[in-house]
This record gives sequence, structure tokens and C-alpha cells, in this order.
Amino acid sequence: MTVARLRVDPVACDGIGMCAHVAPRLVGVDSWGFPIVDTALPKDRDLRHAEAAVASCPRGALFIEPGRPDGH
Amino acid sequence: MSQLRLVGDQPDDGRHGPPDSGTGHRPDERRAGVLGLPVVYQAHRPELVSGPEVDTLRRHTAWYGRPDPGTGTGTGPSGDLVAELDAVALAGRGGAHFAVARKWRSTASRDGGVVVANGAEGEPASAKDAALLQHRPHLVLDGLACAAAAVGATRTVLWLHEGASASHSAVSRALTERRSAGLRERVEVVTGPEHYLSGESSAVVRALSDGPALPAFRRVPATVSGIGGEPTLVHNVETLARVALVARGGRDGYRDTTLVTVVAEGRRTVLEVDPRSTVEQVVAVGGVAPQAVLLGGYGGTWLPWTAAAQLPLHHQALRDAGAGLGAGVVVPLPADACGVVETAGVLDYLARSSARQCGPCLFGLRAIADQLLELAQGEGGRGNLRRLRTFAAEVEGRGGCHHPDGAVRLLLSAVTTFEADLSAHSRHGRCLHRDDPFAAPVVLPVPALAGAR
Repeated sequence: MTVARLRVDPVACDGIGMCAHVAPRLVGVDSWGFPIVDTALPKDRDLRHAEAAVASCPRGALFIEPGRPDGH
Repeated sequence: MSQLRLVGDQPDDGRHGPPDSGTGHRPDERRAGVLGLPVVYQAHRPELVSGPEVDTLRRHTAWYGRPDPGTGTGTGPSGDLVAELDAVALAGRGGAHFAVARKWRSTASRDGGVVVANGAEGEPASAKDAALLQHRPHLVLDGLACAAAAVGATRTVLWLHEGASASHSAVSRALTERRSAGLRERVEVVTGPEHYLSGESSAVVRALSDGPALPAFRRVPATVSGIGGEPTLVHNVETLARVALVARGGRDGYRDTTLVTVVAEGRRTVLEVDPRSTVEQVVAVGGVAPQAVLLGGYGGTWLPWTAAAQLPLHHQALRDAGAGLGAGVVVPLPADACGVVETAGVLDYLARSSARQCGPCLFGLRAIADQLLELAQGEGGRGNLRRLRTFAAEVEGRGGCHHPDGAVRLLLSAVTTFEADLSAHSRHGRCLHRDDPFAAPVVLPVPALAGAR
């Protein structure tokens, strides 16, 4: 069983930074202003914040990878 | 190099031609590759590269045996090629060493699809794919046909760098021969720009889907939905040549070997080695031992010579030692060269080779290269070392492809292997090997980036 994760398509990401403003607890920022995102979302609250971050991205670069029942 | 001749287990059934005599070398020197350095092919095992110097279809068939008439394919004695590939644990030779059978199983249930033979050899130090395409084009084409037949693919493509004219003409000649012989196959030869990443498999898929030859971030693997949405297999040409051998002899007839490129004294030498051959046997330097060896490629791993010399050139064994076989590049670093300077030059090349699509790669690799270049020139201090570690941690795993990961791997292995050199450079602003590091010729060749953005 894996939990859902917040992820980023780094090719699509332009480092605008909305996600880090909207969900600072889930999204870090590197030395060059690009989001550090590979975050497990174990709780409903995390998932809601992640959905807000996904919706905020002007490039559509963030996505939520669903959890898998069997590990993988 | 006589200790390299680990060919005792080679069945001498006449199919493979005469055993090596004398030194065991059949040097065939020619200029090839992006650097124009001389390349020497030396065959130590008759599986892939020895035998007739350049294949005609007739000699190819006489040497390796006849595939199924009319198709150039084969399935091995059991009739189940995937099972045969599983049994010999064939792993891809493009660098990742992923299990071929597993890759095929993820596509085999689908109808249609594309198989790509990837001959775009982006590693500046590597020449093994060019050697194979120029000497054994029929074996690669047989493997391509076998793979397509096994997974039910309806389209086959050979992907090459546009500057690879010797490989291109060898393959074109081979395809003409095959058509004349009545083989029913259609292989499209497609060329792409000659830069470090144009042979990266997602870049190949993207280029063949009418996009740029740059890596893509894939949420769905190409084996499920690749070129034009079709399930797509991208295989290194050496992998396909091995598929062709397994398809003939099956698990019992297959002898696993590895093509490696050794870079030493301004030459690239392509060798075919037994997996038990050690680094020391393959490098075979006379006289003074090297201080370290780079394994895999420019996104590979430095190991101190004392740690590497006795390791077998087998991917798993090298992985257990914290390195990997990668694309088969082996570069000994002479005792009088500086690992910091060499690594800085390569990291600068890797930074310039970024596809410039992902922020962590575009900015991170540049930052890493600049920090190390400063140290190499004796201008940096201990802060550079601290920043290098920070940047490495920030960059790793954050690209759309593994390009930045390779750069980080190279950097971190250099930090460990060349600790004393880094200390001298960062504390005292001096090099242990050279008064003026950059006045010295570098061991690791870095091509001009004409085609690389």
C-alpha cells in the first residue's frame, strides 16, 4: 500500500512559485526558486492542500499521483 | 593483454571461426565518433565483434548461423524468446541495465507498436555502439526483427546521430543486402541531432513523435504509450545484437559478454570482455598504476584504483561496489593527472549539455560545475565544498530525465575519490599534480558542443 503523492512535472514547471505559497508545508523551494515536491499525502488535510497547490499552478505542472493498493 | 583472453569456455564448434592467435588482437584502427580520436577494435570474444571484419549478409549467416528464412528473426530452441531472455538475464546495454524480458512483458500483451534500435551514442567517451553498427549491422538488424516479432510490433526504426556517417552507411549497405536476399522487413533509419541527450530513450520517443529530440517527463511509460501513442520499445543496439544471439542459440548457446570502451592515451579502444574480466585486466596499463578509474560514462562513478582494480566488469558486481557498468566506459586516470580538474571539465560539459527544460538541471548543474571549476583553478575555498554538497542534494532526482542524477553521481564519487586533491585545492589553492592545472591536457575528452544547443 502506497499513499498518494504530490508530484511535479519538472519539464512543465517554470519555477513561478505559486505552489510554495499555497501549500508551504508540502512544497519546498530550492536555491534557484524551483519547487521541491515529492510529498506523501497520508491525511485528508494533506490531500486538500495538495489539490489547492495543483489548482494554483499556472503551468499545470503539479499533479497528484494516486496511491496504489499493493505497494508496486 | 594476454590475461584478457578468458575464452576457455568458448565452445569451439567451428561456428565461431578460428580462435584468437598470438596476442589475441585484431586491431582495426579507424577514426570514428564525435571526437575524431582513433578507435581501436579488439575482439577478445567471438560472440559479437570478432570474426569477419565487416559483415556481409553471406558472411554473417555463415558465422552466426541462419535465422528463420525470410524474416531474419528467431525465437531460440524453446520457441519462447522472452523466456530465453529471462533465462540468460539479459539486461539493456544503453546504461540502465534494465531486464529486457521484463520490458518486453510490459508491451507484449498489446497489438501493434514500435521497436527502436537506439544507435545514438551520446557518451563522448564511448565508441562501442559505432563499432558494433559498423562491424555487425546484420546482428543488430536481426535483433530488431526478433524484438518486433516477439512483441507484435508493426514498425521498426533505427535511430542514429546525424553525424554518424560510417554507421549510417554500414547499416544502409546491410539493409540493401537484406532486401536483395528477400528478407521481408522494413526498417526506417532516422537521424537526430548530435548532442548528449538525443539518445536518451524518452528523447528518442519524443523525436519520433515529431517533437524535439529532448527528454520528456513521462507519467505513462513508453512501453505502454510511446511513439504516436503506440507501445514502444527503445533498445540500445548492443542489447538487440545480444537478442539476436539468444534467438539463435537460446539460453544454452549464449555466452554473456560486454562491449566496453577504454579511453587511455588519447585513444578509445572497444573491447569485448567476459563478465569475469577485471577492471585491471581490461585497462592493462603497463608500468605505473593509475590513481583512479571512471566507470560507466560521464554520468558514472570514480573509484580509487585500489578499490576498482580487482572488480569484475559486470554490472551487478560494480553496482555492489557503489559504481555501475553504465554505457561500458572505462577511463583510467593516470597518476600524474588531477581528478578535480578532470571532473570539473566533465561537469562543465554536462551542464552545457542540459536540455535546459528543468530548473534544477539548468541552474543546478551550472552551479555545481562553476563551484568545482573554481576549485580546480585554485580559486575556491572550503565554502565551495559545502555548496557542492548542498547543490548535489538539491538537484538529485529532480530532473525529467536522469541527466542531473548522473552529474551528481560523478560529483559525489569525485569528492570521495579525490579527497586529498580537493583538500589541497580548497585549503591551499594548489594542485597536487600540476602547477597550472588547466595548462595540462585533460584525460577525459570533452567535445565542442556544436550540435548541443
